[in-house]
Amino acid sequence: MDFSLTEEQKSWQKKARKFAEEEIKPISLERDQIVDPGGTIDWDLITKGSKLGFRTAVVAKEQGGHGVDYVTQAIIMSELAKADSAMSKTFSQCWKWSHLIAAACTEEQKERFLRPFLEDHTFVLGSGQTEANSGSDNRMPPPGNLSSGVRLRAEKDGDHWVLNGEKQFIAHGNVAKLFFLLVRTDFSVPFTDGTTLLLVPHDTPGFSRGKVYNKSGWRFYQNGEMIFEDARVPVSNQIGETNRALHKGDGDSSGDMFGDLELAANALGICDSACEKAIHLAQNSNSGGELLKDQQSVRLKIGKMSMLTEALRSYVMRVAWEHDEKIHSTNAGLVMNFSTDTVQEVTELCMDIYDNSGAPMDRGVDKLVRDSFIWSHLAGDSVQRLKVAGRILR
Amino acid sequence: MYDLQISEEQLAIRDTVRDFVANEITPVALLPKRLEPFDPPLPTAEIEKAAELGLRTLSLSEESGGANSDSLTRCIVAEELASGDADIAAVLAETSELAGPLFDRAMTTEQRNLILPKFIENNDFHLAVAPSRMANHSAIGNSYHRHKEKKSDMAFKATAKEGGGWLLNGIGTRVSNASIAKLFVVEAQTESSSSFFLISNDQPGSKIAEVSRDGGWYLGSCGDVLLKDCFVSEESKLNSGSFDLPEHSPIYNAINLGVARAAFEAAVEYAKLRIQGGRPIIEHQAIGEKLAEIAISLEVARGTIWRAAWCLDNPDKAVAYSGDNLPINTVAQVSSSEMLYKAAKDSAECFGAMGVMRDMPMQKYIHQTRMFLHTGNGNADARLKIAELIADFHDG
Repeated sequence: MDFSLTEEQKSWQKKARKFAEEEIKPISLERDQIVDPGGTIDWDLITKGSKLGFRTAVVAKEQGGHGVDYVTQAIIMSELAKADSAMSKTFSQCWKWSHLIAAACTEEQKERFLRPFLEDHTFVLGSGQTEANSGSDNRMPPPGNLSSGVRLRAEKDGDHWVLNGEKQFIAHGNVAKLFFLLVRTDFSVPFTDGTTLLLVPHDTPGFSRGKVYNKSGWRFYQNGEMIFEDARVPVSNQIGETNRALHKGDGDSSGDMFGDLELAANALGICDSACEKAIHLAQNSNSGGELLKDQQSVRLKIGKMSMLTEALRSYVMRVAWEHDEKIHSTNAGLVMNFSTDTVQEVTELCMDIYDNSGAPMDRGVDKLVRDSFIWSHLAGDSVQRLKVAGRILR
Repeated sequence: MYDLQISEEQLAIRDTVRDFVANEITPVALLPKRLEPFDPPLPTAEIEKAAELGLRTLSLSEESGGANSDSLTRCIVAEELASGDADIAAVLAETSELAGPLFDRAMTTEQRNLILPKFIENNDFHLAVAPSRMANHSAIGNSYHRHKEKKSDMAFKATAKEGGGWLLNGIGTRVSNASIAKLFVVEAQTESSSSFFLISNDQPGSKIAEVSRDGGWYLGSCGDVLLKDCFVSEESKLNSGSFDLPEHSPIYNAINLGVARAAFEAAVEYAKLRIQGGRPIIEHQAIGEKLAEIAISLEVARGTIWRAAWCLDNPDKAVAYSGDNLPINTVAQVSSSEMLYKAAKDSAECFGAMGVMRDMPMQKYIHQTRMFLHTGNGNADARLKIAELIADFHDG
């Protein structure tokens, strides 16, 4: 079993680490503290990262990207997340949907959308699934149920789909230039058989941006409401067959398959940050001539944090390797669930070590804990666990 | 008699406060303009309304104009208030806790006659003690099972002035209620030992700087007290040894319990309404199991907190099975803070994305219960304290 990285993988790791330390880390806390949720994003940072390839990394080389493999993706995501989880996610969100372009778009669509995506450093992607009526149900559809699922209506009018309805809690909802929108095209059947996927550019007539959501963690990562009023989307923007969007084709590595790895790799970065902070404090915090690291209680915590982090790292890399080898298993879902628990446990242990009477909690440590808690609120928590269990028990 | 059955009177008080919270506090507390800002102002109007109900003076004797409430009653009130708004509960609890010990036991008759009427008449008259209670309690840390060096420097020093009176100097940081208190009880080092001095919020030579709530990591009101050649007359000095406060009061854990309970109640209400997976989510085992666990931890936390309150009121009768002098209030702090943080998080989980949105209260409940995990010297240090007592360690 070979755990070593290739030269190319090491080169990406080095590049990501340098960018994280020199560009992300210095602005991380200050962006988190901006009160206006729409004002936390920094397009300069995104542009800089894009120029280094972080935004377009997974687009195939032949098509103008860097075609990095999953192991490299995992490495980049965790290196960036170590400096700031939300900033890392902003870049990898573009990969999530780049995967879908590669898997499901026609050559004509790829030409139409890939080029501007590659050329514009501020071109970020988003999807549009969640609605007021449908959150967990999108992840784990209740079988045969007619009232569940997305309700954003799409009706055919000549060579356009006309959209009416809203999407809620959409990552990059207020900033993406292109969305992969799940729309309801048939209400007479359960939504699993009546949903279609459309590519919706941000300047689609009839689309407007609603509220920008104000989150307690992941503040840099934008999240917004989308409103459609007789919005017109060309039929040529449709991906795959009508009503078949929730029947995934083979080779489609978008959404959950990538998404699970993405979250676990990002969580790994947060854990690395927490361990680094805790170890640094333990080695330097001096109380009456004695260091924090001399306390057994502190040692036990740091040992546990490191143990959990290394376990997560092994699991993340294994899943990344499986994706590269096109091995299908339940591990992607499992590592995502594991990362939800681990990232919270590790960052909370870090906060315990930072206990310091007479002072408020270190803001960087508090941010790690707030960012970590997002994991339980991303894509349903119970549902994410039940879904994987369902696959295991099939 | 060890009795945690709440009396008819306590039930009546609880229900009165509960109604008050539902009508006056919760509608304001849940407004996005109260939830979203990093540094929302203290809701002084609501605090004053609660004071009108007598919730500012609970520990004060009836003779002095208070309710003469015992610790358990004060826990019940604190929990109810906190289920509405923890900042309101914290301010009232601090003044309420100090009132009895200060006016009934520590002050001379002259001092009481001078200050008590103003305290009773003005519903915005709050109390604070400086330096903060943690200032004198160093972490055990590396001196676990070893001799602990006594803290040499106190935050405030009092030098006797020629002709009478004292000059106080020093800085006390993170003093609870400092930004709204009208009367401060300041502990200062004198030549031979230490004494408590009474100063008003506008005493010449004193300056109070409010600690920003943004990243401030506190509930209620918090400020730094700066004294520079602050003159205090002899008449404003408390008799030595007269003012005493327990290191940690379960009333603060009762506030935490109120916060976690509010989170739980919101989760139950939502879980009954929210339909996913074809039915209200409360009908799914995953959610049912989660809510049951939360309910269990709330009841267990309440039991321990109330027991700690009873032990405060009955120090001679308190019995600990796990060791002599085992501080039940510390047991309550450690166990309840850990359970209640998890309870708040798990409650928020039922809300999906809304659990982390700042215009909704769930994320605030999590932040507040998290603070209780990291008060004072932290739970790790509290465990060391318990460990020393279990081992019958005696310092010096």
